[in-house]
Amino acid sequence: MKGWRRAVATACGWSAGFSLAAMMLVTVADVVLRAAINKPIRGTLEIVELLLACSFFLALPATFLRDEHIVVDIVDGFAVRWVPLLRRIAGVLGVLVMAAMAWQGWIAAKDTLMFHDVTSDLALPRIWYWIPVLAGMIGSCIAAAAMVFEGKNGR
Amino acid sequence: MSVTVIGILGVVGLLALIFARVPIALALAASGLAGYAALDGWAKALKMFGTVPFNLASAYSLSVIPLFILMGAVASRANMAKELFEACNAVFSGMRGALANATIGACALFGAICGSSIATAATFSKVAIPEMKRHGYDQAFAAGCVASAGTLDVLIPPSVLLAIYAIVAEQSLPKLYAAAFVPGFVLAALYVVVVFVVAWLRPAWVPRVPGMGLAARLRASLGMWKLGVLFFFAVFGIYLGWFSPTEAAAVAAFVAILIAFLTRQMGWHGLLEALLETAHTTAAIFFIVVGAFVFSRFIVLTQFPNEVARWAQDAGVGPFWILVAVTALYVLLGTFLDEVSTILITVPVTLPLIIGIGFDGVWFGIFVTVMCTIGLISPPTGMTVFVIQAQHPDIPVVRIYLGTLPFLVADFVLVGLLIALPQLVSWLPGVLKI
Repeated sequence: MKGWRRAVATACGWSAGFSLAAMMLVTVADVVLRAAINKPIRGTLEIVELLLACSFFLALPATFLRDEHIVVDIVDGFAVRWVPLLRRIAGVLGVLVMAAMAWQGWIAAKDTLMFHDVTSDLALPRIWYWIPVLAGMIGSCIAAAAMVFEGKNGR
Repeated sequence: MSVTVIGILGVVGLLALIFARVPIALALAASGLAGYAALDGWAKALKMFGTVPFNLASAYSLSVIPLFILMGAVASRANMAKELFEACNAVFSGMRGALANATIGACALFGAICGSSIATAATFSKVAIPEMKRHGYDQAFAAGCVASAGTLDVLIPPSVLLAIYAIVAEQSLPKLYAAAFVPGFVLAALYVVVVFVVAWLRPAWVPRVPGMGLAARLRASLGMWKLGVLFFFAVFGIYLGWFSPTEAAAVAAFVAILIAFLTRQMGWHGLLEALLETAHTTAAIFFIVVGAFVFSRFIVLTQFPNEVARWAQDAGVGPFWILVAVTALYVLLGTFLDEVSTILITVPVTLPLIIGIGFDGVWFGIFVTVMCTIGLISPPTGMTVFVIQAQHPDIPVVRIYLGTLPFLVADFVLVGLLIALPQLVSWLPGVLKI
């Protein structure tokens, strides 16, 4: 893997990994405080949901850059000369899918911002949840395009 | 064009994309989007496409998946597999086939905390196969034993695959875990029977290994304590009413990290590696979940599952033949699809069919999971077989497949038992009143 791709994928992985660790720690703290002094952390569910969105979407560009998508590669056994073309087509499809997702996500996020949607317990602005989601979608679109450009799709 | 035709074209398009090497998540998302647009217009389809990922990625019930994966990633780094193998070997020591049965026992128990068949097979191919080879076991049988036993984790709770099924089929996860206990341990017992039968028919494949003394047995058995603690928090904590499944997963992952640090089996570097591995694995799985939900929105719109159920009823197809057809479908899909994709793609279509013939969603969850264990060792793409072959290039893939054949018989015996005795699934949830 090229240096820049490894660096970006690792950064994405770390961000997602730390969100995951935070999700675990918040949940454990909530359980312990509830059991020990009957004082659970208010809004744990909403915090966990936010951290879950971070841990999934921040790692998604790394899945493209590390080429870790699950692929059925039966065709490699009998039509090996078609594989580079199929990889390229899959890469382009990846760019289109992620671009459509990001475009529609952007529109939905703008609505959330306009209507000042908040969560029910902690009144966290819903747009906070959209930030990692959009970052992941746009990042994945760029990562998919970079992979097509470098001809690296599909192991 | 009729709705049914669009539904069929959508499924054919999905399969075409998957065979054309398009990543499964992208194939599901693209065919689901196109199909939805064909039925309800592009404006509504695109709106759905933008909101499904957001709704899924921030759904609290999904948080159980990365947390159980983290527990497994930590357990894999904390030497628990080797200790479990030694403990199980102490239990079976002195019997013919002791090492093979120790492998099955250790894989079942380690799989329960690891949650990944591939990780379990990879770990035990390093731990168990060299030991079996050293004692003169037939190498194909040894490899087949690890490949098959490595699949037990998808059934024995806490299973990540059952958590994914619970989400896609909208079933209770505690009930599914309770339901999986008996079939999971029956399958492990059937594998043990297979070892005894092979040892009886082909004694040269399974030589007798000298037994251990009582003191050595007791010492080795103590190696199971870590697993016992993790299992207690991850599974019993739910049934004791202490935790929800997500809380149980978080506490178990935290306890796994504590144990690994306190026993000096893992340091900060190992923890960071486990977090990174979990993040990457979670992203790959969640992306398929997102694609599958887009595709299932399209399938729901087509009314395809209801159409198939109605067609089966009108044609007078009996429940037995519907079960045979569904079993054949999963055997076929298992030959080229991974288990997560298999469940996510098929359950929206097959679940209504199965409910229509009198089974419930919990029973079907266990049935589908058992079918996935078959897919994991079926040619040409049995994933656990490839993992073992990658670590033992001296054992040809064909010979590993031959080694898994006796265990495949056990898998199909369990499928038959599940159909003939659905109480195997419903008994424990009934006892626990969940």
